[in-house]
Amino acid sequence: MAANLTAGTDAGTPGPGSAGTARATGKGRTSPAGRPRRTARLREALWGYTFMAPALALFAVMGVYTIVYGFSLSFAQWNGFWPQWHWRGLRNYTDLLGGSPTYAPIVRTAALNTLYVMIAVPVLTVLISFPLALVLNSIRRFQGVLRSVYFLPYVTTGIAVYFAWQYILEPEGAINLLLQSVGLGSLSQPQGWLGNPDTALPTLIMVMVWSAVPVSMLLYLTGLQSLDGSLLEAAQLDGAGRVRTALHIIWPLMRPMTLVITLLNLRDALQGFQMFLIMTNGGPGDSTSVLGLETYRLAFLSELSPTLGLASALGWLLFVAALVVAFLNQRATRRTQ
Amino acid sequence: MTTTAQLTPRALPPRRTPRSLGGISARTAVTVALAAYAVVSLYPFLWMVSAAFKTNSEVVSGGHLIPHHPTLQTLSDTWNKLDFFEYFTNSLKVTVLTTVLVVVVYAAASYAFAVLRFPGRRLFYRLFLALLFVPGVVTLLPIVLLESRLDILGTHWGLILPFVNGSAPLAVLMLTNAFNTVPVELREAARMDGAGELRIFARIYLPLARPALVTIALLTAIPTWNEYQLTRISLNDPHTYTLPIALQAMQSESVVQYNSLMAAALIMVVPVIILFLCAQRYFVNGLMGAVKG
Repeated sequence: MAANLTAGTDAGTPGPGSAGTARATGKGRTSPAGRPRRTARLREALWGYTFMAPALALFAVMGVYTIVYGFSLSFAQWNGFWPQWHWRGLRNYTDLLGGSPTYAPIVRTAALNTLYVMIAVPVLTVLISFPLALVLNSIRRFQGVLRSVYFLPYVTTGIAVYFAWQYILEPEGAINLLLQSVGLGSLSQPQGWLGNPDTALPTLIMVMVWSAVPVSMLLYLTGLQSLDGSLLEAAQLDGAGRVRTALHIIWPLMRPMTLVITLLNLRDALQGFQMFLIMTNGGPGDSTSVLGLETYRLAFLSELSPTLGLASALGWLLFVAALVVAFLNQRATRRTQ
Repeated sequence: MTTTAQLTPRALPPRRTPRSLGGISARTAVTVALAAYAVVSLYPFLWMVSAAFKTNSEVVSGGHLIPHHPTLQTLSDTWNKLDFFEYFTNSLKVTVLTTVLVVVVYAAASYAFAVLRFPGRRLFYRLFLALLFVPGVVTLLPIVLLESRLDILGTHWGLILPFVNGSAPLAVLMLTNAFNTVPVELREAARMDGAGELRIFARIYLPLARPALVTIALLTAIPTWNEYQLTRISLNDPHTYTLPIALQAMQSESVVQYNSLMAAALIMVVPVIILFLCAQRYFVNGLMGAVKG
């Protein structure tokens, strides 16, 4: 937008003069400096579009079509096999938000579970990764090795590690054995940690935190290493201990970083569901059903029921929620800076 | 690595004699905390390795991290019997092509956004960033329908093209930031010497943005290697299967052989770890640069 304005004003177009002459200036103008500058500008714009063209072409095919299609589908009723959509207007949305006795309760349960995840994962991630980064930053030996070790969960997160976690969380799995061997056998879960409706969601939250800590820790570490050392020295001269320095000086300075981390985790909590699909598929019962998973189920696991439109509508509700979260986050950032 | 080692001492409060925390020195407490989280980090990975070197009867009989009779049989059986070579090469093909395309396509686009002035520049930039908030699950079905019309459903290109497009927001964000930090004077000096746009891009901007490019390559390669949802919906022919789908197929058998499953998981995880360890010097700097920029 700013580029548009400057291109119009300082390209040497004459101030006084009719629209007709202004249009003709591109070819007919004889100003010695204007012409080469103008062609240079034109050439730069052409290069700009050339460089951008592959990305834009791909987006036009894979992006625009799918987004427009998905959006219009959210106003329709369809099962993927009927030749025709049935137009429903906004009723998919109202059904999901309370109108339908079949779908509204499912959405409500999933929304509640999603809300737990959206609160627990960012809070726990920050509570673990901030002290971890502080401590890691304060040592000199093994810093590089430990940073790699701590980063490993991010590198390996995916179906392979979800299966490893399932194996560990089994009734005969490592976590139960560990608890028994240290004399805490009463805490072990005979049905497995994912088999008990009471422990399934908290367990999945812990696994999510486990895979969210690496990036957050690295972001905090970045922030810590760009801190001004003299500030911390001053605090120590004033007699503040390590804990006080961390809480009253470093933590407030890390606030922008904390907001970035929170936003990333909120978005994942709201839209991600791969781990839920693979490890519990929403069960036992509906104790681990989340909104992203319900969307996926309505779209791909509902056989011949005409729920594709509902799935799409639920997806767009998630989109709106993500935008609201991003907007609130941006407001918060602006206020603190 | 060297840069962080130089940075750290400055950011540190001066080292003092460790204070005592109830008889334990602060340094011991710090060491214990760091070691404890290292164990938490590695825990599932260690069990994966452990099970992959056990026989199935030892896995069933339960729980020692160190196998009593470590065997390579499980790994070699899994690799040979279950066509893992085919799945492995499929995964490799999809991942490499996706990563190369992401780096080439979005490095070019980001150069345009960061350096060149043309109408609509900011609009297109914002368009790519807005994609970040479109939930993947909304476009999953339209992608499948579109691909069946274009006749690429079930092929590897049917995975690669949506993956590349899906990587756009992050790649454009990071690479535009990286190109923005290159001093304009370099570009002007090169133009004075008569270098064209392509040459400036390839000889000045790409080399200077290498940490960001490696970071984006990793941040594309890792999720692509692990991608599961679209792959599961779109692939039908077992000869096109990638590793996640092969793993999924093993897991949904009636009796799960955990030793084979963990061996397969290990086969899937090890290349990513090696890749990360090789590239991590660039990776850490690239991520840090992206955040600061």
